[in-house]
Amino acid sequence: MQGKEINDHIRRSLAVLIESADELRDLDQALGDGDLGITITAGSNAVITDLGNLPDDATPTEIARTCAKAFANANPSTMAALVAGALLSGSRIWEDKEEIGLSEAADFVSAAAASIAQRGKTQVGDKTILDGIAAAADALAAASDSAEACSAVADAAGRAVRDTKDLQSRRGRASWLQERSIGLADPGATAFQRFAEAWSRVSTPSQ
Amino acid sequence: MKKIINAPENFVDEFVAGILLAHPDLVKTPGDDLRVLVRADAPLAGKVGIVTGGGSGHLPLFKGYVGMGLCSGVAIGNVFSSPSSDQIFQATKAVNGGAGVLYLYGNYGGDVFNFDLASDLAELEDIPTRTALGRDDVASQPRERKHDRRGVAGILFAYKAAGAAAERGDSLEQVAAIAEDVIEHTATIGIGLAPTILPTTGKPSFELPDGEMEIGIGIHGEPGSRRGPLESADQIAEHLTTALVEDLGLQAGSRVAVLVNGLGATPLEELYLLYRKTHQFLTDRGIEIVKNYIGEYATSLEMAGASISLLELNDERLELLRAPARSPFFQEG
Repeated sequence: MQGKEINDHIRRSLAVLIESADELRDLDQALGDGDLGITITAGSNAVITDLGNLPDDATPTEIARTCAKAFANANPSTMAALVAGALLSGSRIWEDKEEIGLSEAADFVSAAAASIAQRGKTQVGDKTILDGIAAAADALAAASDSAEACSAVADAAGRAVRDTKDLQSRRGRASWLQERSIGLADPGATAFQRFAEAWSRVSTPSQ
Repeated sequence: MKKIINAPENFVDEFVAGILLAHPDLVKTPGDDLRVLVRADAPLAGKVGIVTGGGSGHLPLFKGYVGMGLCSGVAIGNVFSSPSSDQIFQATKAVNGGAGVLYLYGNYGGDVFNFDLASDLAELEDIPTRTALGRDDVASQPRERKHDRRGVAGILFAYKAAGAAAERGDSLEQVAAIAEDVIEHTATIGIGLAPTILPTTGKPSFELPDGEMEIGIGIHGEPGSRRGPLESADQIAEHLTTALVEDLGLQAGSRVAVLVNGLGATPLEELYLLYRKTHQFLTDRGIEIVKNYIGEYATSLEMAGASISLLELNDERLELLRAPARSPFFQEG
């Protein structure tokens, strides 16, 4: 994929993601402070607007950086800051690349996962968005073609979210609930799953 | 709730506007956003900039320490909330004189996330940044976990020393190292007597029965290490100072700067009672007080209580403390 195609794809995916805002808000109210719905809605809308203002020849790196800034500024929350830092981290891997294939996408998502692990002082299994992103990075690295990759990533993220239900939250406000967090899906990982599903859905031309 | 306010949601913008009107010779906003303040002469070519920031409700912290020989800029959050990464980034750009920018602020999760993201944004524009976190509250973690401690009033010493170093033209690495060195040798502990009421929610920041005090309270009303019956001024001073002397490992012959800080609703008289006993206690142990600061330096709106901070001095730290400085709330020389 090149810049313009990536730009269009992100905007269409985020428009789909916003449909999950109420679900994410409710999940977050059970485990956190309930602002994830607003973070996703305000953040996605800001990204859609700012990407729409980019020229057609914007590079993939410029697109990722625009997403990061727009998402962080729309609703300054811990989740927004972590996601934006992850996007910037991924954009550094891409540098001046114009064509993003499977391996570039896998490198980007790996760098994003590493950023969230480092900034959020968290690891896989702590029941956070990292569980979803790390699963996606693995799925991308294992995929052999991009058509297969999109649905593989969405499936992997979905499995990761189901796995988080059995875990106890170890980071953020959710960790205050201790064992009461067991049985509930992690809101951050679910947000990533919904994004991966949206990305996969807009990738399928027949739908 | 009884407060001298207008609409609670305008509280922050309105007090910042007041500071700007009162001190146009010292501070300015680089753009339209009242949440970003920088010193009036920023940026200073060739000199390291220092950006601080954090939630409102702590004046003179953080925005009161922007000026010559102190911080170069500040990003201002809502009451007890972090500023956004973009506000921090705007402050960074406005104070960057080409020698890089030090982020110097208290160790709180939300602030760390937003400052880290601002450092990413700065890197994209080739502005190098370093970070030093105030971590002086000895009651928030034991000594062996001191890197996880909260930042409270003692950050004043780091502002003063790092600001003086930046003013004399030290490099970014040197200014960052001086900030770290001062933080390493600073310890603070406080007591709370009565909570503040948050303007937006109208709720108290904590609850405390009559006749009790919270020992080791944070500047947002975070619980301390224990709660007990209210003691006399002398007992309080002795208990707090003992904890600080132990934490810093001070001995006869050590030299210190002392900061006795009011949390918002405690009168100066009571702070001087605390200073009196602190002075006697340290002097009795052969510890020399070379500099003292008594007053409101880091508050929690109208919380009642006080904190005591010590900075162990050597010649270099003392020289930096004595260097000239001027901001809306602080003057030296």
